[in-house]
Amino acid sequence: MAYDPKTGKGLGRFYDANHRAFRKREWRGFRDTLYDFFRWLCLYGFMAVKLGCHPILMVKAMLRYRWMVSYLTAAHMVDRHTMGLRGKELRYAHNQFFSVLHNSVLGVRDIIVRDENLRPHSKRAAKLRENTVMFDEMTPHLIMMGFPTVKWIDIAMFAIGLPSEVDQNASMYYIDAMEHLGLPADVCPEPAAESGCAVVDDYPRVGKCYFTSSMPCDGAISQTNIMTRHFKDLPSFQITPPQRVNEPEVQTYAVKNLKKGIAFLEQQFNVKWDWDAFWKNAEMYNESSRCMIEKWDVNCTDYPQVCGAALALQREYEFMAAACMDEFMLKTDRRVTKMMLKGYEQDKSADANKPKYRCIVWACPAHYYTNFTYWTQHCWGVTCVNDMEAMLSYQPITIGDKDQALADLVRCYEKMMMRSHTNGGYVNLLDECWKMCEKFNVNIVVMYDHVSCKNVGGLHGLFEDQARERGIHLIWIPHDVMDPRTVSRREMREAFNQYMITVLREEPLDPSLLDYEDARSW
Amino acid sequence: MKELKHLIYFENLLEDANNELVRKAEAEGAIAIGYTCFHAPEVLLNLGSCFSVRLRAPHTNSMELATYYMANNSCEFSRALLERALEGNYSFLHAVAGVDVCEANNRAIENMEIMHMQGEDKEKFFYCNLDIPYSDDEDCVEHIREQISRKILKPLRENYGVDTSDAAIRAAVREHNEICRILTEIGELRKLDCPPVTGYEFAVLVLVSYTCPKRLILPLLQETLEEIKARQVDPEKNYWVRVAVVGSEIDDPNLIRLIESCGALVVADRFCYGSFPGRQEIVLTEQEDALTQVCRWYLQNTECPRQSALHRVKYRNDHVAQLVREFKADGAIYEQMKFCTYWSYERVIANQIMPRDYGIQILSIDRPYIVGQSGQLRTRVQAFVESIEMKKLRAAQKEEK
Repeated sequence: MAYDPKTGKGLGRFYDANHRAFRKREWRGFRDTLYDFFRWLCLYGFMAVKLGCHPILMVKAMLRYRWMVSYLTAAHMVDRHTMGLRGKELRYAHNQFFSVLHNSVLGVRDIIVRDENLRPHSKRAAKLRENTVMFDEMTPHLIMMGFPTVKWIDIAMFAIGLPSEVDQNASMYYIDAMEHLGLPADVCPEPAAESGCAVVDDYPRVGKCYFTSSMPCDGAISQTNIMTRHFKDLPSFQITPPQRVNEPEVQTYAVKNLKKGIAFLEQQFNVKWDWDAFWKNAEMYNESSRCMIEKWDVNCTDYPQVCGAALALQREYEFMAAACMDEFMLKTDRRVTKMMLKGYEQDKSADANKPKYRCIVWACPAHYYTNFTYWTQHCWGVTCVNDMEAMLSYQPITIGDKDQALADLVRCYEKMMMRSHTNGGYVNLLDECWKMCEKFNVNIVVMYDHVSCKNVGGLHGLFEDQARERGIHLIWIPHDVMDPRTVSRREMREAFNQYMITVLREEPLDPSLLDYEDARSW
Repeated sequence: MKELKHLIYFENLLEDANNELVRKAEAEGAIAIGYTCFHAPEVLLNLGSCFSVRLRAPHTNSMELATYYMANNSCEFSRALLERALEGNYSFLHAVAGVDVCEANNRAIENMEIMHMQGEDKEKFFYCNLDIPYSDDEDCVEHIREQISRKILKPLRENYGVDTSDAAIRAAVREHNEICRILTEIGELRKLDCPPVTGYEFAVLVLVSYTCPKRLILPLLQETLEEIKARQVDPEKNYWVRVAVVGSEIDDPNLIRLIESCGALVVADRFCYGSFPGRQEIVLTEQEDALTQVCRWYLQNTECPRQSALHRVKYRNDHVAQLVREFKADGAIYEQMKFCTYWSYERVIANQIMPRDYGIQILSIDRPYIVGQSGQLRTRVQAFVESIEMKKLRAAQKEEK
């Protein structure tokens, strides 16, 4: 089936089994193509301005770190997600993704200018490092809200987390490094890749201390053992929020633990926790959470607006990577919220087409296939109105009351990405899923079956039983988070296809998307 | 060596979770509390008329039902327990003290809870999931104290009228210590060149102490201690090398038997369901309440790789080295239950660190829950034994030269 620009069908034709990039760019009509191209230019222009001014460091970084090369394909990542989108949906997605990449590009810049591996003799880099704390990927950086003068960099996010979402092949080398040391292949590839990156010494050294955590799962805790050993010459602190987060009694310990983390940073950087800065940053967190909730509310209606990965990824990065302290991201939130409300009103008054099927995504997603729900939308008309990963901390931080604010901050930690549902008992994972189905008015759950996740897997049968009782279509999509060799993108699609064809007796909206090869693609 | 008088009886007790002594205690009105992990403080499950039963799933064959409920990549130990629970084998229990320590174990208990594995008409039955902190400082002690008070002691008191006072806790600790003293005394004998007890026999003794009511098993263990002390040992060594076994759950003494059948005498058992940790006396002072001291003891003595603070990692490695040294082991076997994330990483680290930093030769294996007569495992242990022997030979040759 050839691509038809008028209908937008034939998207499968853009994939080439023998090449990493798309065959060509999509023609979406004059206005949308122009907008899309303008956005493409913006992204590369921004990268050129922010990173191009350090050409030698960038070349050195590319040669030193395997993961750095993946960033060159950032625009392709955006293309993957925006493929087939038109009009306002295209604009939401571009805005959301650009804010993520905007933050990431600045992060990469911050890394290269202070990295000891790249600039071992630079006094300036050393000075910058003296004022920087390194974070683990799964440790939210919200604690930095009270340390406005200290810089933080999430080294694992830039080395493993984001590259694995940009380029599906980015993490395999690191996973193999750990398996070569004897780590069984059945553990989650995410902490395995993060550990492997330490083992092959591929982490930048950009700070004077290391801040880690016990979150969100067994793998992450174990990975901490390897990471702290890797940075054993640096002081480190592990924040350990309680597991049974729904119990009010555990919060006393949680607050004490957080205070220890604050004391550690105060001691390392010889600064005091700044309440004024904290209130300001907490306001930003609150506002970004309000924007998030507004998106959810609109998606509960018949006319969902910001859907799929544009909703989920942006919130994940805003919370996990930027700790809701990125002005640009907040500006984007405001802009997209405004656009979204306008779009909703337009759709409502025009009684626009409603999604053929609505779904939510549950459980840990595949990093190497973040655009999966766009594929379900284009191929089968199944629109993802919310994603478990986006349903992270949203409760506001109380402004003005110091004790309550710290308790709220702890709550943010406890309800971080993934952990908000996978920890604290089955209620947060199992019961919450059905609640969300009701709230978002969906009867399809795209259930990511992460083949190495023992946590969600531990409730597999109960999900099956209870979904059947409730008449919900639970579509299990196997994947291995960062290792597409275990379950490829194609196999993930096939699992979905099988369900749509055999159970729902559906015909694909775009048959070209039914089966194509993209194993080589980024 | 002559077989121990009660060995067959002990082995029979291990044939079933609801064994003869458990049934006897229940018939006398005692309250059985199931638990699976060291982090559920055993001594506090033995207050007054309560007694603890560390859950096992002997003779597990198929785990199909549990695999449906928990997926096939879940820890086999947890799945075996769930399977057994689904079959109704734990319906003799009055409560389950679960811990939110590892995902699989936690989910197994949650599955039991949701599917009401305790059976019908058990209004007083309770499940709990203790929130276990990741370190051992005083904040952690306070936290776990609150958890235990609220989730174990309170329901025991309110549902079953159990005395949970300080005096009752001290009495339980005294009884617990009595068991520990006996097993430690037997365990110490393994330091001898020709120990009067094999690793298999010791594993059986330790296991019955975990799975039977303390009051009923105590006299038998006492008698066995006397018997072992007076036991005539074989004049010749009947092993080639001595090893410490380190790792996750071993609730099947046949694994120890398998290792010993390859010529490796197991002299130290540093694994879940072993004597390290769990069979050391808890020394209480009068200055502080017993509950806090018990909580602190469990946090400070855990060997679970889940405790990821750096000093805890070092503590674990040092302890293995200490055991190897004290029990004159020639090496250590690091084993893990297949699909256990914590031990997967711990093994990788140990594989690098123990030979390099401590000079301890190790064998690193993962294994299924049902070991049986695994030929693969036997081959690996045999190869390890041979490699240690070769090293010993070479060292001896060097000395001669």
